[in-house]
Parts: sequence; structure tokens; C-alpha cells
Amino acid sequence: MQQREEKQLEASVESLVSRVAHVKNALHSFIYKLENEYERLTWPSVLDNFALLSGQLNTINKLLKNEKTPSYRSQVIIPLLLSPDRDDELAKLTEQRVPVFSHEIVPDYLRTKPDPEVEEVEKQLTAEAARIGPEAAQKQIQTLNKLCSGLLEKLNNPRDEREAENAALRQNKPSFNPADTNALVGAVAFGKGLSKCRPPGPVAPGLSGQGPMMSGGPTLQQVTIGGGSGQQTSMGGPVPQQQGQPGKMPSSIKTNIKSASGSMHPYNR
Amino acid sequence: MEAPPVTVMPVTGGTINMMEYLLQGSVLDQALESLLHRLRGLCDNMEPETFTDHELVYLLKGQQGNPFILRARRSLSHPTAPWHLRYLGQPEVGDKSRHALVRNCVDVATSHTLPEFLNEMGFRMDHEFVANGHIFRKGAMKVVVTKLSRILVPGNTENIERLSLSYLVELSVLAPAGQDTVSEDMRSFAEQLKPLVHLEKIDPSKQRH
Repeated sequence: MQQREEKQLEASVESLVSRVAHVKNALHSFIYKLENEYERLTWPSVLDNFALLSGQLNTINKLLKNEKTPSYRSQVIIPLLLSPDRDDELAKLTEQRVPVFSHEIVPDYLRTKPDPEVEEVEKQLTAEAARIGPEAAQKQIQTLNKLCSGLLEKLNNPRDEREAENAALRQNKPSFNPADTNALVGAVAFGKGLSKCRPPGPVAPGLSGQGPMMSGGPTLQQVTIGGGSGQQTSMGGPVPQQQGQPGKMPSSIKTNIKSASGSMHPYNR
Repeated sequence: MEAPPVTVMPVTGGTINMMEYLLQGSVLDQALESLLHRLRGLCDNMEPETFTDHELVYLLKGQQGNPFILRARRSLSHPTAPWHLRYLGQPEVGDKSRHALVRNCVDVATSHTLPEFLNEMGFRMDHEFVANGHIFRKGAMKVVVTKLSRILVPGNTENIERLSLSYLVELSVLAPAGQDTVSEDMRSFAEQLKPLVHLEKIDPSKQRH
């Protein structure tokens, strides 16, 4: 009976040690990455590291809860020999972290009570719990149980129900509007809603049919701005809102070239 | 004398034919912060860059139907920087399974006399707008989150009003023609931005109606 327990204890301690070593390695590589590869680190890989650590902590928890694991509370560790001399064996075992097994390190490493700060907080919590009184405490327990069971129900329900709820929730908070997408793409691609000399709205494919805007500067025709505006009414262009514009020129560059050679009368447009 | 090298396109000035691969989407104002945080995490680690640009779109009307479009862009936050002239071709119709919009793209930097030069050439300014926002980079991919504003008085970039309550999000890559792995990378990056933004291939010609 004793032997079996001893064997169990040994085996469980060994597996615990190996799991803790895994966690230590994972933490070590994560810290290294954070400190040295800071520029190249991306959020998905940070999340991966956290997920790894959380998985390892989970396995440790499962191991501790395992029935084959004897209760560690019933075991006591008593230091038999303390010496201020450096112990090489110990140093090798602990990778140079504990070189001396002396009076200073024993209280920290062999501690079974929680840290003083934790003890303080726990004392406060127990005092608060005693203060509330049994009925209020009972009510709080019941609310907590209700919330937990509601959550469990939601999680255990068939997936389709959950998806429908999620879809409904998501619709309440959309983060983009497809109509806006189309409007913006239209604006960037061909000025839908941007040009003021056309009514805002989709631009008809017959862009070439409308007169261009003049942005200033002499044209090839060398017609003065004043002279140009005088011809505006005879142009018969389809866009009437050009009051602010200094003058309209004929709509194709070929026409401009022809006029420069003097063979085309400006009123002919 | 050996035969001259055979090229598909006339080689002018030693530039390779660059294509722009593009995916577009939009995000509402209230979701902008979360999108920016996500992009800061996903993209290359650099100081977040904001920009304020004034873009003018020039048209040259030929005898036949489609006008020739050039886009001139200048920075309002760096007034002494050169202007930027860009030509974007028609989107390549081809592979329907290709995930991004692909079009020919030619970019040059120019001096500040660009508007006058284009006017002399016969181009006429069709529309202009002010774009400001944030730009992120991941490798060759560029993500731009822009707020577009309409210019109320032509030439006055102070007097502007927003076009809509959303920000335009564009994911683009400039690559030589023929590299189709680019669109795969773009699509996997776009997956990481869902469900905040749906980046997709939007054909501009379909928007006209």
C-alpha cells in the first residue's frame, strides 16, 4: 500500500516536473522573442505564444486533478541539511539558479503558505464574507449559479442556434456599409458625386458629349478669356451651369489645332 | 549584327510594365479605430503614417469614345514635395478566379508646373478631391485608409466637405505583369481583416449604373 503510494507520488512528481519544464521553455522563448525580435513580431504570433502557454497550463491543471495524483497537501518537505557552501550538484540540477542551499533561500523555495500580500487579500475577503451574512451570501450564490448555467446552456446548444444569434447581434453593429463602399469607389474611379458642373449622381458613359471645364491658361487658339465667354451662348453646350467659368473651348483637341491654323471658325461648334 | 531583342511591348525609358493589383472596401467611422489597431498589429512595424493629398483628375477627350485619364496628386502636408502623376489602365478582364483587380499602372513624379503643363497639352480637369488618412505597409502590400472630401470651391482645398461617413480602404500591390501569386497573398491578408472590412474586387465600370 505504502509502496504503491510512493510509486504514484514519484511518477506524478516526475510528470509535473516535465510539464513545468515545458512551460519554462515556452516562456523563455517568448520573452526572447519579445526582447530581441521586437520589430518583426506580429500580433498573430504573439497570440500563438499565449495560446501555447495557456494550453500548457491547462495540461498541468489536468494533471493535478487526475485521480492517480496523490494529494500533495499530505506531503511535507523538511530540509535536513543547510549549508552556506556552494553545492555543485544542486547548481547543475537547477541550471545555476540555486547554487547554495542555505538559510536564505529555504523560506522562499519551500514556502507552503501563500505570499504575505496574498494572505492579506485572503484575510480581507474572508472578513467581507463573514460580514455579509448568510442570506445575502446565499442570494449571491444563487445569482452566480443562474448566470453560469445560462452561459453553459448557450454554449451547449446546437451550433445553428448559436449562429443565428450571432448573426443577429452582428447586424446590430456593422462595421462597414456596402453602399458606402460603392459610393467611395465610384468617387475615386471616375468622380461620381465629385464634379460640381454635373449634377451629383452616376456619370453617363457619354462623357465626351459634355463640354470640358477650363482651368485657366491660354489655349492654342489664343482667344482671350473675355472673347471666349462671348462665344459661350453660341456653343450650345449641354451643360448650362458654367457661369463661373471664364469660357468654353471646343471639346476636342483636334478642333483646337485646326483653329490655331485659322481654318476653322470658332462659332462653328 | 544580331537581331534586335524581341519584346512584347515597346520598351520606353527602361521601365517594366507594372500592374497594380487592387482590392477595395470601406469601413464606417465608428469602426475606424479598431481597424487601425488591427492594421498596426498586422502590418510592418513602423510609425503610423498619415497623409493629406489633393488629387486632380484630368481628361483628354479624343475623337472616339473613351477619354484618356491622368491623375495628378500633390501632398498638402508636404507642399514642397513633387507632384505625382499616375496613369491607370482598364482593368484586365481575364481570369475570373483572380482575386484582385489588375490594371496597368504608370507612375511618375513631376514638378509643380504639372497642372499648367496638362492644360497646355489639352487635358481638362474633370474633378478633384482631397484625400486624407493613414497608410500602412506589409512587405510589398500597401494598405491605405482614406477619408475622401469634396472640394466646394474649385482650387480651394480648405473648404471641403466629406463625401460619406465611411473611410475607403484599399489594399494594393505594384508588381510586374504576370505574377499571380500576388493576388493569393492579398486575399489571405484580406481574410485577416474580416469581419471589420470586406475587401473585394470592385469593378469600377459596374459602378457607373
